[in-house]
Amino acid sequence: MIGRRVSRFSALSTYVAALYAFLYLPLAVMFVFSFNDARRNVVWKGFTLSWYGRLFHDAELIGALGTSLRLALTAAAIASVLGLLASYAMARHPAFKGRQTYNALFSVPLMMPEVVMGVSLLAFFVRVRIPLDFGSLACAHALIALPYTISSIRARLLSLRDSRLEDAAMDLGATEWQAFRKITLPLAWPAIFSGALLAFTVSFEDFVTTFFIAGIGIVTMPIKVYSMMKFGVTPEINALACCLLALTMLLLAGNRLLSRDPAAR
Amino acid sequence: MDERRYTRRDFLRVALAVAASPTLLVACAEGPKERVVNFFNWSRYIDPKTLPRFTKRTGIQVNYQEFADEEEMFAKLRSGALGYDLIVGTDYMIPRMKALNIIAPYPPGVLKNLGNIDRQFRRTPYDPDDAFTVPYLWGTTGIGFNKKKLAKPPTSWLDLWDPRYSGKIAMLDNARDCISLALMLKGYPETETSDAAFKAVRDLLLKQRPLVRQYTSSTYVDSLVAGEVVMAMAWSGDVLQAARENPQLDYVIPKEGSYIWVDNLCLVRGSQHREDTLRLVDYLLEPKVAAEIADKVRYASPNAAAKPLLDASLRDDPRVFPPKREMEQLKFHALLDPDAVELWNDTWSDIKVA
Amino acid sequence: MTQTAEAAAENLPARRESRAEKLLSWLIRGASPAASHLLLLPAAAWLLVFLLLPVACLLALSLATRGPYGTVVWSFTWANFGRALNPMYLPVLLRTAAYAGSATGLCLALGFPLAYYLSFYAGKRRETLLVMLMIPFWTSCLVAIYSWMIILGRHGLLNDLLGRLGLIQAPLPLLNNGFSVVLGLVYFYIPFMVLPLYGSLEKIPRAYLEAAYDLGASPAEAFLKVTLPLSLPGVFAGCLLTFVPCMGDFLTAEFLGGPRNFLIGNLIQNQFLMSQDWPFGAALTALLVLSLISGLYFYQRLEARQIEP
Repeated sequence: MIGRRVSRFSALSTYVAALYAFLYLPLAVMFVFSFNDARRNVVWKGFTLSWYGRLFHDAELIGALGTSLRLALTAAAIASVLGLLASYAMARHPAFKGRQTYNALFSVPLMMPEVVMGVSLLAFFVRVRIPLDFGSLACAHALIALPYTISSIRARLLSLRDSRLEDAAMDLGATEWQAFRKITLPLAWPAIFSGALLAFTVSFEDFVTTFFIAGIGIVTMPIKVYSMMKFGVTPEINALACCLLALTMLLLAGNRLLSRDPAAR
Repeated sequence: MDERRYTRRDFLRVALAVAASPTLLVACAEGPKERVVNFFNWSRYIDPKTLPRFTKRTGIQVNYQEFADEEEMFAKLRSGALGYDLIVGTDYMIPRMKALNIIAPYPPGVLKNLGNIDRQFRRTPYDPDDAFTVPYLWGTTGIGFNKKKLAKPPTSWLDLWDPRYSGKIAMLDNARDCISLALMLKGYPETETSDAAFKAVRDLLLKQRPLVRQYTSSTYVDSLVAGEVVMAMAWSGDVLQAARENPQLDYVIPKEGSYIWVDNLCLVRGSQHREDTLRLVDYLLEPKVAAEIADKVRYASPNAAAKPLLDASLRDDPRVFPPKREMEQLKFHALLDPDAVELWNDTWSDIKVA
Repeated sequence: MTQTAEAAAENLPARRESRAEKLLSWLIRGASPAASHLLLLPAAAWLLVFLLLPVACLLALSLATRGPYGTVVWSFTWANFGRALNPMYLPVLLRTAAYAGSATGLCLALGFPLAYYLSFYAGKRRETLLVMLMIPFWTSCLVAIYSWMIILGRHGLLNDLLGRLGLIQAPLPLLNNGFSVVLGLVYFYIPFMVLPLYGSLEKIPRAYLEAAYDLGASPAEAFLKVTLPLSLPGVFAGCLLTFVPCMGDFLTAEFLGGPRNFLIGNLIQNQFLMSQDWPFGAALTALLVLSLISGLYFYQRLEARQIEP
C-alpha cells in the first residue's frame, strides 16, 4: 500500500515537473535569446550583453514603460476603490433585494472575451465622441481589473466576518465607522493590496483591449512590443521582458512579506 | 504593526503622485507660446539624428511618435487626431484622409525646398493637384527571397504560385497589394470592377492559397531570415534593411512589373502649430537631410537634389532605385472609388476565410 | 486578537460623532438597502458605462450600414448578419469553437493532475508552485508567442534537437498550423483552469476521504466517489474561464497560425482595423456574443444538474 502510494506520488511529481518545464520553456528561450547578437531575433548568432545596455538609452521603450506604469497605477487605484466599496456591501451588509442582480452584473466581464470588450469600447467611444486618450483608456483598464479586486477583497471580508472583532470594538463603544477604520480596514489591507497588485498586473499586461482603444500616440509596453513584432523583434524586447520579470518576482516576494496576516502575529 | 501600515499607505500615496505628476507636467508645458511640432510617422522611418538637429537649428521641439500599422492608425484617427500636426500617410490613404477631413492642404508657395522633389512624384493619381502631399520616401512591392534555399532566384510573380515551394511562401496581408497584383497578372486595369475580373482574381488567389504558409505584412522578414519561408511578397526596404545583416536575403521586382508606393508628409487639419510644422517639412526637404534619412532607412528618396548626396551603395542599388527600363514597368496605385474599395476588401476577406 | 479591539476602543476620542461620521457609519452598517445600493453604485455604474452601454452600441452598429471610406451610416439592415451567417464565414465560428473546445479539454486533462498534486501532495512547496504557475502569465504574452515561434519553427529549437537526436529525418511541421495554435492557447490559459480546480479541491474536507478509506474504499473508489464529484464546481468554473477567452483570442492565431487557422477573433479584428467595415465586424462580434450566451445558458443548466443531485 505504502509502496504504491509512493510510486503514484513520484509519478505525479514527475508529471508536475514536466508541466512546469512546458510552462517555463518559452521563458528560458526568452532569457537566452536576450543575449543574442542579432538584430532579427529568430536565429542565434552569438553572445552579447549590449541589449541590456541599450535598454536604458531607448527613450521610446522607457516612454512606453512610463505610460504603462501610469496607466496600471491609475487603473489599479480606481478598481481598488470601486472594488472595496462594492465588495463591502456584498460581503458585509445584511441581505438586500437586488444582491443577485449585482452578482450577475459583476460576473459579466468574465463572460466576455476581451476582443468583444475592445471593439465595443472602440465603437462606443467613437460614437459618443469620447477622445481615445489616456483617461478613457484608464477607465477601460479599471473595468478589466475590477472583477479581480472585487473577488480578492470580498473573499477577505467574508473570512473576517466570522472573527467578530468589530462587534467587540462596538461593544466597547466604537461607532461603526471607527470600527471599520481601526479594525476592518487594517485587517483587510493585505487583500486590498494584493487585489490592487493583481489589478496592476492585469492592466500592465493587457494587450487586446488596449490594442483597440489606445488612441494615436498612446503607446503602452505591450503595444510597443506588438509594433516591434511588426518590424522585427530585437533582443532588446527580450532583455526588457527579463528585467520586468525580475521586477515582478521582487514585487511578488514583497507582497508575500506584506500580506502575511498581521493578526496572526 | 502600525509602522508597517503607514509605509504601505505612503507607498500608495507616492504611487498616486507618480501616476499624476507627468500629467501635471504635460498640462503645465502646454502654454500657447511653446514652439513644438507633433510628428507622427511609421516605426523606424527616420534617422534618429535628424530631429535633434532641427531643434538645435530652429529651437522648435519635435514630439515624435511612431505607428506600426496604417490601417490601425486610421481606425483610430476617426475619433480625432489628438493634437498631431504632421502625419505620414501612404498614397492610397490620402483620398480617405481627405474625404474624412483629417488632412489639410499645403498653403501654396511656402515651402522653399519643394522644387527638390523629382517631377515623377508630383501630380500623382492620389493627389492630382499636389495640394495635400509632400512625398517623403518611396519603395516598391516585389519578392523577397532566401538565396540559399532557392534553386534559382524568382523572376516572375508566378513563382509565388510554384507548387514546389508549397508551405514556404508568404503573402502580404492586405487587399491593396494582393488584389492589385492579381488584377495585373490577369491583365485587367486596377480600376476594373467587373464580375468576370473579380472571379478571375478570386480563382487566382484561391489557387495560391494552399501553398501559402502565412498571410502577413509583419513577420515575413523574420520568417525569411529563419528559413521558415523561402519567398515572400514583400516591400523593398523591409527586406533590404534585413539583408544588411543577413546576406542570404535578396529582393527582386518581377518581370511583369509592379507598384510603387509613396509615403507622404501630410498636414493635420486643425493643427495649432502650422507655421512650425511647415518649417519642419521644409527642413526634411533639404537635400542633405533627405539623403541622411534615406541612407539610414534604406528606402528610396523622392528628393532629386538629394540623390547625388546619397551613399553610393544605396544610390547604385538597382533594388532601391530601379534602372530606367524597370522603372517604366512600375506604376502608382490607381485611385479607387469607395465602392471599389469595398469590393476589394470583401474579396480579400473571402479569400482569407476560404 | 481582542487586544486590537481594546486598543482601538481606548484610542477613541471622547467626542460626539460628526455628521459625516454618522453618514459613514450608516453606510457601513447597511441596515437600510439604500446604503448597500449606494456602496455598489460606483462599481455598477462603471460596468454600465464601460461595458453594457458599449455592448449595446455594438449591437446597434451591427444593424447599421457601412458608408464610404469606412464610415457608418445609421440606416437599419439585417445584411451584416446575412453575410456573417453565409457558408463562407460560418465555418470560422465553428473552427474557433473546435479550437477553443480542444484547448479547454487539454487544459482540463493537463491541469487536473497538477491541481490535484498542489492540493494533496505539494506540502510546503504549494505556495511557491502556485506563484510559479502565475509568473508565465505575467510575462508579456507577445514575447512568449515569439519564443514559441523560435522553438517550433521548421529550423527551430525543437526540430533541431529532434534532428540531432536522430529521431526525425525531416523537420516536423510544428508552426503555423492547428497544432501550434492549440498549443499556444493551452499555454496561455492553463492557469485559468488550474486555479479554480485547485480552489475546489482545497475545499474538500479531508475527513470525507478518511471516512471513505475507513469504509473500505480503495484509493480509486475514493477518488471517483468523493474527490471527483466534489471537485465538479471547479471543473465547471475552470472550463468556463478557459473557454471564453479562447473563443475571443486572435493573437495566438495571428502569429502561430497559418491561413487555415483563421479564427473569429482575427476576422473581427480584420473588419475593424483593416477592412474598416465596422458594421460587419459588429455583426460578427454580436454572433460570437450570442453563441457564447446561449452556450453558457445550457452550460449552467448542465452544471446545476451535475452539482446538485
